[in-house]
Amino acid sequence: MNEELDSQLSAMFDDELPPAECELLARRLSRDEPLKARWGRYAIISAVIRAERGVRLNAPLAGRVNAVLLAEPALAAQAAPRDRTATRLRWWQPLAGSAVAAGVAAVSILWLRSHTPDAPLAARVISPAAIGTAPAAAPQREIYIVPLPKPPAAALVPSTELANYVVAHSMFSPPVARRNLLSAFMTSEPAAAGTEEPQPDVKVIAQ
Amino acid sequence: MSRSSRSSGGIAGLALAWAVAGAAAAEEPPPKHLPDHTPAQWLERMDHALTTRNYDGTFSHWQGGRVEMLRIIHRVQDGMVSERLASLDGSGREFIRTGSSLACYLPDRRTVLVEQRPPEESLVGFPSVNDQTASLYDIREIGHMRLNRRETHVISVSPKDEYRYGYRLWIDDSTAMPLKSQLADAHGDVIEQIVFANLTLTARIPDSSFRPEISTEGFQWLRDDTAPHLQPGSTALAWSAMSLPPGFRMTVRSAQILPGTAGAVDHLVFTDGFASVSVFVERRTAPSGAPAVPESATVGSSSAFSTVVDGHKITAVGEVPPATVRFIASQLKAQGSAPAAGR
Repeated sequence: MNEELDSQLSAMFDDELPPAECELLARRLSRDEPLKARWGRYAIISAVIRAERGVRLNAPLAGRVNAVLLAEPALAAQAAPRDRTATRLRWWQPLAGSAVAAGVAAVSILWLRSHTPDAPLAARVISPAAIGTAPAAAPQREIYIVPLPKPPAAALVPSTELANYVVAHSMFSPPVARRNLLSAFMTSEPAAAGTEEPQPDVKVIAQ
Repeated sequence: MSRSSRSSGGIAGLALAWAVAGAAAAEEPPPKHLPDHTPAQWLERMDHALTTRNYDGTFSHWQGGRVEMLRIIHRVQDGMVSERLASLDGSGREFIRTGSSLACYLPDRRTVLVEQRPPEESLVGFPSVNDQTASLYDIREIGHMRLNRRETHVISVSPKDEYRYGYRLWIDDSTAMPLKSQLADAHGDVIEQIVFANLTLTARIPDSSFRPEISTEGFQWLRDDTAPHLQPGSTALAWSAMSLPPGFRMTVRSAQILPGTAGAVDHLVFTDGFASVSVFVERRTAPSGAPAVPESATVGSSSAFSTVVDGHKITAVGEVPPATVRFIASQLKAQGSAPAAGR
C-alpha cells in the first residue's frame, strides 16, 4: 500500500479529508478488501469490539459506529443491549473479528462524508451559544444531544477540585497508571455546558 | 494538521508510523528474545521507556463501555519533561506539561487549570519491583505475541488481594513501550484498556507540539504560579494513617497550593510500589452546620473518597479499587504538630 493511500486513510480518520477525496476513498474502500481491513483495524477496532457487544459509545465516535450499525442489519442484530457483565472483557476473550471491523469501517465513511472536513478542532467544541442556535434537525449534519443541566449537587468535592486532585496525584503515579488515570480524566463525561458550577465529570454517590 | 505535513513526517500513515517506531528502535538494538530479562525487568524497562523516550502516538481508551481516541506526545529534552495528552473525541480536553508547569484545558467547562510542581519532581523515579511488591502481586510473563506486526512480551501483574488492580501489558520487544495495556480487577475482569493505533519514536519533537489545539478565548483561568516546595504539612497538624492496606506505606508528605483554592493543602502519597494513592487534607470551608457526608467518586477506573475529620476535608484519590481509598481516607488522623518531613 502506498504512502499516499496511508495518508488519505489517516486524514479520513482525523476528519480532515476533503469531501471529494473522501467519497473517492469510500468507493475504493467498498471494493478493496485489504484497505477495508486496514481501516477497521487501525482506526476503530476498539469501537467495533464494544459495538459488537452492544455497548454505548461516546460521541462522535459513537455516531460513526452507530451509523454503521444502523446500516448493517447483521451488526445491528448483534448490538442488542446486554447486561453489565457482558460489557467487560475477559483476559481470554478475542479482540475483534476483522471482518466485522472492515464492515463497520466501510460504512462509517458515509458518516464522515457528511462531516465538515475543514472544521478546526475548536469549532467542534460545544459552546452555550452554539447550543442555543443549533438547528433542530439538519439531515446532513452532525447532531449533538446535549443533556439538560441538572440541579446543583451539594458535592463535598466540587468537580474542579477533584480535577486538581487528579492532576496533582498523577505526578506520583507509576507511568502506566498515570497514563490510565489522565486518559480516564480526559475522556470522562463532559460537563453540561453553560452551568455556573458544571456537573462533575465523575459519578458522585452519597454514602 | 495539513495533509502535506502529515505525509512528510510526524504521525504519518498508520503503517508508516509503526515502521518509524521500528527504525527508532534500531538505535538501541536489543535482541528480539531476551531470556535473561525477568518479568520484573520488563516492567522496569517499560517504565524507563515511558518516562525517558520521545514519542508521539494515538491510542484508544476503553473504559466502562466507552471508547475514545487520544493522542499522547512525550519528550525529554535537556532533562525537562514535556508531555501533551489530548482527547480526540468527546470533550476535547487536553493536559499539557512543560517542565514544572501543568495545564489542564477543559473546554466543556471553559476552564484552564494551571499548576506548578516543584522542579525536583520533573523526573519522578519509581520504585523497582522488589520482594515486597512480589508478595503483593503475581508478576509473570504469559506469552510472546505479535501485536500490530510488532513482537511483544506479555507481562501479567495480578494482585493477590482486592486492595489493588492488576495489569496485563503488551511490551514491545525492541522499544519496551507498552503497545497495549489492560487494567483488571482482582477477579481478572478487564475494566480499562489502552491500545495504540500508531506510535512514533523520534529523536526530535518541536515545541509547537506542546501547544493546545483549542482556543481558550473567554475561558476562566485558575492558576497557581507559586512553585510549591515539598515541606511539612500546611494545616499545622501531622496527618498520618492509623493503619493501611497491606503493603502500602507513605512516601511523600508535602504542602501545595492548588489552582482555585484559598489555602495550602497537605498532600500525602501512599504506595505499594505499583499502585499509589494521594490523600489531600485541607481545612473545611463549608457553611457551618452543613452535614459532613462522605462521598465516593470514580474517574475512569480510578477511585476517590472524601470525608471530614476534625474540621478538615480529607480526599483520597488513586488508581485502586474504591475500598482502598475509603480505607486509607478513613484511617487518617491528626497527631499534633506536623513533623519536619519531606519526601
